[in-house]
Amino acid sequence: MQSAERQTVYRWGLVWSGALVAFGGAVLLGVAVSRSNAWAEVSQALGLSVMGWASLLQSLNALALVPAELSLKQPLPLSGTQYLVAGALAWLGGWGLLAAGLRRAPAPTEGPSPAAGAPLYPRLAGYRDFYWSTLGAYGGGILLAEWALIQLQSLLSSGAQSVAQGEASGGSGLQLAPPWAFAVSLLVACSISFVAGAIGAARARRLSLPEATIGVFYLGLPIPIMLTLLDRVPALQLALGYRLREVTYVAGLLGRPELGYWLVFGLLVLMLVLGINSGFVAAGSGRLDLRLGFELFVARRHVAVFRPSLLLGTLAVLMLGIIPPLIIYGIVRAVEAAVERTRIRELGLVDPLAAAASLNRLKLREQSPTMMMTALSVGGVGVGVMALIIVLSVMSGFELDLQKKILGTHAHAVVSKYAGDLPEYPKLMEQIAKVPGVVGQSPFITNQVMIVSEGNVDGVVIKGIDPDTVGSVTDLPGYMLPGGSLEYLKKPELLTPRRGPGGAGSPMLDDRPAGAAPPAGGQPEEAEEEIDPIIGSMTKPAQEQVLPGIIVGRELAAAMRVVVGDKVNIVSPLGTELGPSGPMPKSRAFRVVGVFYSGMYEYDAKFVYIFLDEAQKFFEVKGANGIDLKVADIDDARRIAADVTRQLGGYPYRSRDWSETNRNLFSALRLEKLVMGIILSIIIIVAAGLIVATVIMLVLEKRKEISVLKALGVPDGGIVKIFLAEGLQIGVAGGLLGLLSGLAWCLFIEKVGIKLDPEVYYIPALPVRIEPVQTLLAVVIAVLVTYLASIYPALKASSVEPVEGLKAE
Amino acid sequence: MAFLSIRNVFKSYFLHGKRIDVLRGVSLDLERGELVSLIGPSGAGKSTFLHVLGTLDAPAAGEVLFEGRSVFSMNDAQIAEFRNRTIGFVFQSHYLLPEFTALENVAMPALIQRGDRAKTYAQARELLERVGLGARVDHRPGELSGGEAQRVALARALVLKPAILLADEPTGNLDPATGEGIHQLLRDVNRDLGITAVVVTHNETLAQSMPRRLRLAGGQVTDA
Ligand SMILES: Nc1ncnc2c1ncn2[C@@H]1O[C@H](COP(=O)(O)OP(=O)(O)OP(=O)(O)O)[C@@H](O)[C@H]1O
Ligand SMILES: [Mg+2]
Repeated sequence: MQSAERQTVYRWGLVWSGALVAFGGAVLLGVAVSRSNAWAEVSQALGLSVMGWASLLQSLNALALVPAELSLKQPLPLSGTQYLVAGALAWLGGWGLLAAGLRRAPAPTEGPSPAAGAPLYPRLAGYRDFYWSTLGAYGGGILLAEWALIQLQSLLSSGAQSVAQGEASGGSGLQLAPPWAFAVSLLVACSISFVAGAIGAARARRLSLPEATIGVFYLGLPIPIMLTLLDRVPALQLALGYRLREVTYVAGLLGRPELGYWLVFGLLVLMLVLGINSGFVAAGSGRLDLRLGFELFVARRHVAVFRPSLLLGTLAVLMLGIIPPLIIYGIVRAVEAAVERTRIRELGLVDPLAAAASLNRLKLREQSPTMMMTALSVGGVGVGVMALIIVLSVMSGFELDLQKKILGTHAHAVVSKYAGDLPEYPKLMEQIAKVPGVVGQSPFITNQVMIVSEGNVDGVVIKGIDPDTVGSVTDLPGYMLPGGSLEYLKKPELLTPRRGPGGAGSPMLDDRPAGAAPPAGGQPEEAEEEIDPIIGSMTKPAQEQVLPGIIVGRELAAAMRVVVGDKVNIVSPLGTELGPSGPMPKSRAFRVVGVFYSGMYEYDAKFVYIFLDEAQKFFEVKGANGIDLKVADIDDARRIAADVTRQLGGYPYRSRDWSETNRNLFSALRLEKLVMGIILSIIIIVAAGLIVATVIMLVLEKRKEISVLKALGVPDGGIVKIFLAEGLQIGVAGGLLGLLSGLAWCLFIEKVGIKLDPEVYYIPALPVRIEPVQTLLAVVIAVLVTYLASIYPALKASSVEPVEGLKAE
Repeated sequence: MAFLSIRNVFKSYFLHGKRIDVLRGVSLDLERGELVSLIGPSGAGKSTFLHVLGTLDAPAAGEVLFEGRSVFSMNDAQIAEFRNRTIGFVFQSHYLLPEFTALENVAMPALIQRGDRAKTYAQARELLERVGLGARVDHRPGELSGGEAQRVALARALVLKPAILLADEPTGNLDPATGEGIHQLLRDVNRDLGITAVVVTHNETLAQSMPRRLRLAGGQVTDA
């Protein structure tokens, strides 16, 4: 309608090819950045900024690099430069092309305007294309937010140490754990970004998307780019690595720091957008009017989401799938219609007027297309939230299971020396016992050996333990399968020998010479003799001598085909006996006195336990290798471990907690969870697309009503709020339904259980653990995404001019 | 200083490279409490003029001054409030909101102000009684006849007792008797509440019965 009044003529061919060329340039620049190793060296030589303030400066850098490269005496391998030059040229050229595609429309030639010389309508006169202050607010805001995040993170998590070093201000300052420091600084950065967006939009009284794009590109991008490059460019690492260590540490907790940087950047941009939106809504009135009463009143008439039938129907679909509720619905409708019709027929005999009206009502119950779209959007959001909750809960369940198992078999913390044994361990244990938070300790010796049984060999980790105290640090005593006992480690003579078929004679005799220094002991053999019912005194010979005991895991026992009572040989490559050709492997026979089952494959297949004293002899260790500790609060293990080190006087002692010794595993898990979360959020984003479509349909459908509302005095902000409320209704309804169904599914998995194939998985049923924070986060993300999705249609709605809708019949 | 004055207002449409000059420098003063009829051939620009007067449409040039204040230099919120409190608009077709009942439609301007609901609904009910629709308060616009809808629209325009009432052929699709009732109502509110009213009409007798008559032709408004 307004096209004739448009000021600009678009030549789309030029615009599109310009955009394409510029995009190609950006890709080339990206390639150049990824090969920036050589480039960084050259630019460092020139003192150029490696950050290359986004594309503009990058292209300038590129131009400067060409003569630099030529002038170098020893040419460096510049794999990136040609990309850089081509990319920069394409980038600039593309924009040139694009600009050529936009032209002012020629003035209409319809004779002299009658209005020549009259004062221009004030709103037209005040119109401006571009607001520099808004650009400053957006770009400066996001830059400030990033800077504040980095500074706060460094300050809060390292305490005042770094500050004190520089300024000698000496205060202890507040020191937070890095994740908490991160939470605080992220919050601050988000608010900065939000406020900046609000100020910028309020200043221009419109969204100012060009300003936002330029601001984010040229001022927001350099820092995340720099952080990403930090790992790859040695020069950068050298210059900034130390200053940014707290930031890189927090990002490193995720496993993939880059992902962290870009997620945070995305979040800041999101907050900027939210701020812009709020600023725009507030701008019209000059104050932020948060009252929603009237807008909700209108919105709820437009989309009636909170109706029992819709909510229950969607919940049923989420819980049971699409088909069963449809069948039930069909049956219910058919029965209802039949009942209704007979009623109407009877009514018709008495009161035809009322009967006709009822019949009409029955027919009129068809749903409008927007209604269907609304239901679909609610369902889409619901599915996304549900999937997110279920998958994250199951992954948390796995994580908890793993943590339990690791902590069951591994100590919470380990005390050792940087080098050497701990002959003084009893004294150390006395000291450690004084540290608050330590609830158990046990000395150990550990080594890697080979285990040999009849025809089977495997490499295992052997651990010499003290059976009396090991129960205070791990759950090993509880993992013992019936038939064996930790007690036998200390007193192997108590074990009742058990003989498999053919296990009585020759094989053991064959093995015997290999056994080094069999302990002497006559009495136990006699005891055996009495107990053995089948073979009796015939097996009295020396092969039934008492061997030191060993405890193996269930998987290892199965692989080696040994049971309690069988003999195995342990071979250590680090022998001290000298043979004709150097040191000879040391070998020694043990008797299996117990089998444990922890439920964690790695342990059940790779760990064996012997008595500490035997280990001392076998490995010629004085005392112990280290002391396992158990702490009262596993989340506090890190601090308690540090306390223990301090109590022992620091070097040469050191203590490490479980998260440190298993760091790779847990950070991999966390990363996996994050990636799953992102992938599943895509479902929500698809649902958000549906919401955009739904709200756009609503806006188109309600154009006339929007005009009327405006004519009645609803300001632009009010219209925006009405349609935001409509989108939000869908998001809240979907989020709540998803929450309900997700929790219901989790409960189902927990209570009823979903069996896992024991051949594949090492746990019997799918574990779940509902973490409140992460569950709530899923709902909040859904609501936030729907809110974002309705911003665009809502703004479209508010830009409908009163007369525009009134004339569109 | 006039109560409402229009200064040199221009409005043209561009369509397919052609310019249609609808308003060519219209200037006009209205005094408080005046009751004015506006006549003119179809397509002359009466509706356009009324829209500009009611701030619903933007002129290309010119000013509308309300009590000496230029309404088009107000910001969005002020304009919205101006439309809400000062102007009552009756459109050529009724333009009621289809999702709301007659009562809610009449109460809408007050609801936008977030006024007290109970009081607002009581006022709206009273107004509906006055236009003879006491029995139709719970009907949706789709369940009203054209004339009934137009009367609801008039009630809506009057609910906040605006200073200015702009009516675009309010009796266009009413039978003569009901139409006369509406005219009487217009005269009553003009007299009782002192509402300044501009009524566009094709009805010559109605136009003649108004104290002041304007004619819009050739892009100019003149006293007829
Ligand atoms: N959006 C538009 N684009 C182009 N021309 C338009 C537009 N709106 C209105 N016109 C033209 O402007 C002129 C004035 O229209 P307007 O609706 O004001 O007439 P009117 O005097 O109210 O007529 P009627 O008595 O039939 O209601 C008409 O000729 C019409 O064709
Ligand atoms: Mg008209």
